[in-house]
Amino acid sequence: MALEIREITKHFAARTAVDRVSLQADSGEFVVLLGPSGCGKSTLLRMIAGLETPDTGSILLDGREITRLDPRDRDIAMVFQSYALYPHMTIAANIGYPLRVRKRPPPEIAGEVEQVARRLGLSPLLNNKPGQLSGGERQRVALARAIIRRPKAFLMDEPLSNLDARLRLDMRAELKHLQHELSTVTVYVTHDQSEAMTLAHRIAVMRDGKLQQFDTPARVYHRPANLFVAGFVGGSPMNLIPGRAEAGEFAAPGIRVPCAAPAQDVTLGVRPEHVLFSAGAQPGYSAASVWLTEDLGSETLVRLKADSTMITCRAPGDFELAPGSPAWFQIPASRTLFFDSHTTQLL
Amino acid sequence: MIPFLRYSAASLALLWALAPVYWLATISLKTEADQFAHPPRWIGFSPTLTHYAEAFGGGSFGVYFLNSVWVAAASTILALALGVPAAYALARFRWPADSAERIGFWVLSNRMLPPIVTIVPLFLMFQKAALVNSLSGLILVYTAFHLPFVIWMMRGFFQEVPVEIEEAAMLDGESRMGALLRIVLPVAAPGLAATAVFCLIVSWNEFLFALILSQTESAMTMPVGIASRVTQYEIKWGAMSAAGVAATLPVLLFAILAQRYFVRGLSLGAVKG
Repeated sequence: MALEIREITKHFAARTAVDRVSLQADSGEFVVLLGPSGCGKSTLLRMIAGLETPDTGSILLDGREITRLDPRDRDIAMVFQSYALYPHMTIAANIGYPLRVRKRPPPEIAGEVEQVARRLGLSPLLNNKPGQLSGGERQRVALARAIIRRPKAFLMDEPLSNLDARLRLDMRAELKHLQHELSTVTVYVTHDQSEAMTLAHRIAVMRDGKLQQFDTPARVYHRPANLFVAGFVGGSPMNLIPGRAEAGEFAAPGIRVPCAAPAQDVTLGVRPEHVLFSAGAQPGYSAASVWLTEDLGSETLVRLKADSTMITCRAPGDFELAPGSPAWFQIPASRTLFFDSHTTQLL
Repeated sequence: MIPFLRYSAASLALLWALAPVYWLATISLKTEADQFAHPPRWIGFSPTLTHYAEAFGGGSFGVYFLNSVWVAAASTILALALGVPAAYALARFRWPADSAERIGFWVLSNRMLPPIVTIVPLFLMFQKAALVNSLSGLILVYTAFHLPFVIWMMRGFFQEVPVEIEEAAMLDGESRMGALLRIVLPVAAPGLAATAVFCLIVSWNEFLFALILSQTESAMTMPVGIASRVTQYEIKWGAMSAAGVAATLPVLLFAILAQRYFVRGLSLGAVKG
């Protein structure tokens, strides 16, 4: 266990920012903290960094308790959303700074800077100041500064959110590759679920300071622990249809699906790509009408209305059907998830 | 046409501002006969350095000058040494409720007090403490006078420095003090320079406290020394002007050297982005 967080709690005045969160990361693991803004993910990251002190709980890194150590004694490197480069220093001085603080001999520092710069494609920029660099280049410098001293852990606080969309995808891939090569335990904060899905070995979904689910991207996607995770994770949100389980069947207006849950109010969850869809009547399909189609290029989202229930499904990119046209759909029993409508937990 | 008007207006403004300086400089170089010539001789006069010799050779202006340098430098350094940490603490640390704002305002409110109301109590206190007619006394007063300004200005400059670069430095291995000295202060250097220049100029020019608190030759500063040349029987225009020119030079030099920082420093908080 490289990084272990035990029952961490942090209050700001009357607000509980982080509420009894426990997490473990194995060595070389990439853990993503995912959640909406204000969910406590950044506070948790800052407590690992030592920039905030938890009220209760403890943090262990490689078996050593670091809960109350100064940031500099933790052997952790962090990449900030704003990059946090030192504006009065050259790029070379920025990258070499962690080594200079540690009083390493200058020729050795120069060699290491050279090597890290080459790896991240920064060699031609070493004599510039941060102000002369583009966003993507600054991001690389921040990464270079983080990796140069080979810390025990990397922390990243929304490092890609200041980049434009295209660059973000490139940097995302680069980041993943780099982390794989260095195989250093990494904790990465984001509110972007697609970043979390692509980067993480495991995702910790947070809300209101509480950990909702901590699992692999596939499990978080296919077996969300509760309604919040189900709605938050996934490019096009999961269909969440409130209804009632009764006599082995889930019933909502216009929908009937087999359901093993005992009689109670439940919410049916099914991903749009799992809803089978047809423009003509087919056996086993239910009737509905097209409410709206949204062409996303590679696919089309079709919103159907069955009685008073809205349900979204996926169709090929060039698919077109006028609103109001009749359509048929089926929800395969193997793809359904049922949540307790009151506790919001997966049944 | 527009540029012409613009330059004309600028020239007029310059003339308005610089004419007294020119007059001061020429008086210091004129013989007494030329000083009072009517109509005034703006250019055609035979220059002389006798007033400079009188002021700095035989007279005490050399002492006053060194006194001024010492008082201005010491009070500025002291005010920065005490004010910068206070400003940093107000800008960076978490304070209960909005007490950082209130303390900040209280500090600033000290500047709203007209200095003259403190003169009498200060004089009495200094008399008891044997600080009258001493440079240490003046340094103490000036330091106290600068502190609110230093705290208020530097607090603003520290708030402008993104907190992340300080946090990054601490994660890179710096202590908080190290991050302050090696990262935050260099980034806030324009502000620090502007604040220091302001303190220097104010101390250098200060007249009221110096007049009341230091009346002996050995403890006089330049402004008081110059004024003391207005005597019952004569006014030594030549020596006073020579001393005035000499008193202007260091501030001028400092302002030219620090101009780049000064402009950047004062406009630092003005524009977001």
